[in-house]
Amino acid sequence: MKIRTIKHIFKEGITNVYRNKLMSLASISIVVASLTIFGIFYMIILNFNHNVGKLKDQPEMQVFCLTELDDVGVKIVEDALMQNEKIKQVAIVTKEQAFEKVKDMLGDNASVLEGIDNSFLPVSFIIKLNNPEDSAMLMDELEKINGVDKVTYPQKTVEFISKFTHGIQIVNSILTTVLLVVSVFIISNTIKLTVFARRREISIMKYIGATDWFIRWPFIVEGVIIGFIGSIVALLISGYGYNAVEMRFTKELLMTGTSIISILKLNDVSARVALLYIVLGCIVGASGSVTTIRKYLKV
Amino acid sequence: MIEFINVSKKYSNGTLALSNVNLKINKGDFVFIVGQSGSGKTTLIKLILKEEDLTEGEIFVNGYEVSSMSRSEIPYLRRSLGVVFQDFRLLPDKTVYDNVAFAMQITESLPKEIRRQVPMALGLVGLSRKADMYPGQLSGGEQQRVALARAIVNNPALLIADEPTGNLDPDTSWEIMKLLVDINHRGTTVIVATHEKSIVDSLKKRVIAIDKGLVVRDQQKGTYENEDKNYKTYI
Repeated sequence: MKIRTIKHIFKEGITNVYRNKLMSLASISIVVASLTIFGIFYMIILNFNHNVGKLKDQPEMQVFCLTELDDVGVKIVEDALMQNEKIKQVAIVTKEQAFEKVKDMLGDNASVLEGIDNSFLPVSFIIKLNNPEDSAMLMDELEKINGVDKVTYPQKTVEFISKFTHGIQIVNSILTTVLLVVSVFIISNTIKLTVFARRREISIMKYIGATDWFIRWPFIVEGVIIGFIGSIVALLISGYGYNAVEMRFTKELLMTGTSIISILKLNDVSARVALLYIVLGCIVGASGSVTTIRKYLKV
Repeated sequence: MIEFINVSKKYSNGTLALSNVNLKINKGDFVFIVGQSGSGKTTLIKLILKEEDLTEGEIFVNGYEVSSMSRSEIPYLRRSLGVVFQDFRLLPDKTVYDNVAFAMQITESLPKEIRRQVPMALGLVGLSRKADMYPGQLSGGEQQRVALARAIVNNPALLIADEPTGNLDPDTSWEIMKLLVDINHRGTTVIVATHEKSIVDSLKKRVIAIDKGLVVRDQQKGTYENEDKNYKTYI
């Protein structure tokens, strides 16, 4: 294809979008809605996966002593753990170490800890199991030891979140498919209006020897422009939205002191989401036009 | 240039529009195709343009075997010939110049060629001074001349006119016919389907008469009606 033909095709495509303002706007809106809903789910999934990954890196089991337990009590708990043959390895996290860890996690906000000493934090033990199958039984056993406050086993949470994420993924793919099909349908109707308005021109073009593709391309460009604009708008909406939600959540998480879970920063997700949006938007736009023009080309 | 061999066309509703037509039109010919509405004239032209598929037989146009050509070849067949219709078929939102240039744009001609050819075609039909006007501002005869300019701008070897004067008054019709004759004198084969008895009679060109789907007469230097009054009785 020659460059001036490509120029012609783009000029015609843009003119089509403009001539058909109202329907173009409607089509863009539906693309924005579909992509935004898809994006919300997609970003939730990204965050879940991120946290699942983080949780998997956590020690297999953590035994927290009562905060007020003295050194002797701690020693007794430690001995009990050492003697248990289901346990492969035991590592102690002292109050000082726990305090440092909290400080690290707070980062810039570490100043809230000023004037507070480490006595509010419990001593804990990080345990590696010989056999993960024993986990449930071992948890019961350990919780019965005197001086033990609670036992956490992130692996269980990991399993739960994984299942949950999987569920969301299914819901998302169904919802997104439906919305994208609706988008294709609405775009195809928009293109149909343009094609209808230009059917005379199309038939004249056919009579003077225009190839099918020469006629088809401007309409495909029209669809892709609609999809592209839709994806950019959706991207802006979900970008700003995500940023607001992310800042809020991170603050809340800091306040509750939940350190294991974190929300991805906008920058970490934006590239992937942007690419997906634009590709999806353009594909939806193009398929909307291709399905329509076919029957009008028979002259 | 054009050859019909035993061509028949039956529409899906059962109408037999052409039956067993044999024709040969040579390079440089000027041919009138005459016949009443519904006689099969338009079908004949539609078959040449491959707007309709034929039912039986073979058609050759400008070296293309129309009968067996694929959809993707049709544009190239149509580029090799120019067409003019009764209703002009101009684009109302393009100027006269752009309407003619459009035919060259779709064939991806060089801008340099377009700038040379379009004024030449407009000059030939006598519309150089109206190049910047829109079809709506022109009279019927002028619009048909724009359509003629568009049909010849790519220098086709064959020009087909389907009732080119059907919407025009007699004087204007004569102007258009004279242009067609001019174009023919420049070496282009011209085929005109028409009702215009007086024009056909005075030009004395080859006449092919079609009636009820049959070629009933093919006469050099012919007239609209057969001069032999008994003709109808013995076909």
